[in-house]
Amino acid sequence: MNIFLEFIVRGLLISSPIAFASLGGVFSEKSGVINIALEGIMLVTTFAIVWGGIATGSFLGGLLFAIVAGMIMAGIHAVVTVTFKVDQIVSGVAINLLAIGVGRFLSQNIYGQETQSPFNSSVPPDFLGINLMAWILIPVTALVWFILFKTKFGLRLRSVGENPEAADTLGINVTLMQYSGVLLSGVMCALAATVLYPSQWVTGMTGGRGYIALAAMIFGRWHPVGAVAASLLFGYADTFRVMFEREIPIPAQFVQMLPYVLAVVVLASFAGKAFGPAAVGKPYRKGGE
Amino acid sequence: MATATSRRETLLNILAPVIGFLAAIVILLIIVVIVGETPGNAIRAIIRIAFGNPSRTATIISTAIPLYIAGIAVAFAFQAGVFNIGVEGQYFVGGLVGAMAGIYLRLPPVIHIPVVVLAAMLGGALWATVPALLKVGRGVHEVITTIMFNNIAIYLMNYLVNKPLSGIETGESLEPQTRAIAETALFGRLNGFFQALGWRIGNHVYLDYSLIVALVFGIVTWIVIYKLRFGFEVRSIGEAIDVSRYAGIRVKRVQISAFLVSGALAGLIGLQEIFAIRGFYSYQIAAGLGFDGIAIALIGLNNPLGIVFSALLFSFLRQAGYGLQLYTSVPNSVSWVITGLMIIIIVVTNELMSRYVRNLRKKEVGV
Repeated sequence: MNIFLEFIVRGLLISSPIAFASLGGVFSEKSGVINIALEGIMLVTTFAIVWGGIATGSFLGGLLFAIVAGMIMAGIHAVVTVTFKVDQIVSGVAINLLAIGVGRFLSQNIYGQETQSPFNSSVPPDFLGINLMAWILIPVTALVWFILFKTKFGLRLRSVGENPEAADTLGINVTLMQYSGVLLSGVMCALAATVLYPSQWVTGMTGGRGYIALAAMIFGRWHPVGAVAASLLFGYADTFRVMFEREIPIPAQFVQMLPYVLAVVVLASFAGKAFGPAAVGKPYRKGGE
Repeated sequence: MATATSRRETLLNILAPVIGFLAAIVILLIIVVIVGETPGNAIRAIIRIAFGNPSRTATIISTAIPLYIAGIAVAFAFQAGVFNIGVEGQYFVGGLVGAMAGIYLRLPPVIHIPVVVLAAMLGGALWATVPALLKVGRGVHEVITTIMFNNIAIYLMNYLVNKPLSGIETGESLEPQTRAIAETALFGRLNGFFQALGWRIGNHVYLDYSLIVALVFGIVTWIVIYKLRFGFEVRSIGEAIDVSRYAGIRVKRVQISAFLVSGALAGLIGLQEIFAIRGFYSYQIAAGLGFDGIAIALIGLNNPLGIVFSALLFSFLRQAGYGLQLYTSVPNSVSWVITGLMIIIIVVTNELMSRYVRNLRKKEVGV
């Protein structure tokens, strides 16, 4: 029983960075902007939270740094894709490259070493054995659902992602809504940083979680609860490997592969049915601009 | 009148990468000043690492070889409106299949080397098959499936190199790797040839057979895209998929083919590292070239000729980063920062210019 509880709790901690990032993906894509820059944004927020924690000596200071950093990186994506209407995937790829450099560059200049930061003791408190922020995922998921489906802002955001022309005709500010969606994804990446090893930054520590979050979002059919559920699936599969690697006869690599194979299978079986926002990925050009 | 506008359009297309590059250099110098170094020192360091002696210039060309292949692999898919983010995984798999042909086959060199090249292409194409079929057959977005396949490839390679294909004797503490590739399949160097031409490069630089592979496939790809009927179909799908469909082009078939060709080209990316530099396949072979390829294809306007310049530019920027690290207090990581920014500036410039061209067109029609 004890080991079962440990599995549940550790699984939540391991899943939560993916889940927060996938909620960021939901915000961005619901407004019609594909965001494969989640990985890069997280690379920078994970540095910023450690930087802020060490500089201010408080976890909230770190969180503030991370939110600002996340919004700056997401803001670049918003300017490039919403204002300049550049291909959203290309912008994401560029930001992911940029982010690798930003983390290393800042670390080199602030701490004199390029690949890791010193230890940060200003981390969130523990609750029931794990980082408190992992539990915060639950109310945040509910909040995102509420914002998207029960508020006027959420309705406007979603309508922009579905049909920007119609939304524009109804007087909704398409640009403002898309900026909000993308910037909120930056904030979510800051929350992801709070649960992804906030005690030290190491280069490349996001390890592809941004891409997995993207898959989880699609897997979860662009719905916040679905996205988080899919993130938990990925996270728990990984937890299972971490905890029981020695006891299972299958090579660890195949267990690690499983979530990705599963994602492909699920995506293939969804095929033909579109669940995503209708206008996602298509820059909105007002009056043939 | 229309020709004047389209001529101007071509000019603007070429201008965007130039503006992007110049802006990147300006940003680099601003960063240099922020870090507390003088721009003069930085420029001297870059010139020294890039052109200090013939070997250093040759190193830029050497590093550009895998980048160039990555660029044309991504570009071929791009031309058909396919976004192949899976080049990353495809070259991991292609490299391993090529290495297997190099390790286990016994052939004379004249046959063995072409065989490993084909095996690598086959491996790359194989890894592109499922995402290609899922995209075209079932409408699953290739960006997501290829990202998944990249991750699957990493774990699969990790397993194969550690277990069934491991070439490490018990007791040896080496990084996980395969057995050594047969002598007959190893890529020799062309340095002697260049030295005979009077280019005084050192023997340590890798200007090997992969340079020939890159040149041959660059030319072939260019001919296929711009001179063959298949390439015409590929380009028309990339430009207007619906129009192509009405025009009777078999869109699905062409897109699958382009995706597989892209994967086959991706299989060639690792040749230099595996067959010329290491002589075995390792889980540690350089990662990230697939993503670099996306940027390189984009800057080279998806044209195999343009990609020659963008691959060299990328390689130059990477070397410049090392030069700054070596001779100044500017960290190497700055090369990623300016590469990312350069791509953003280029695509934004492209957009602004195409708006300008659209306005010109409107005026033309109006008059």
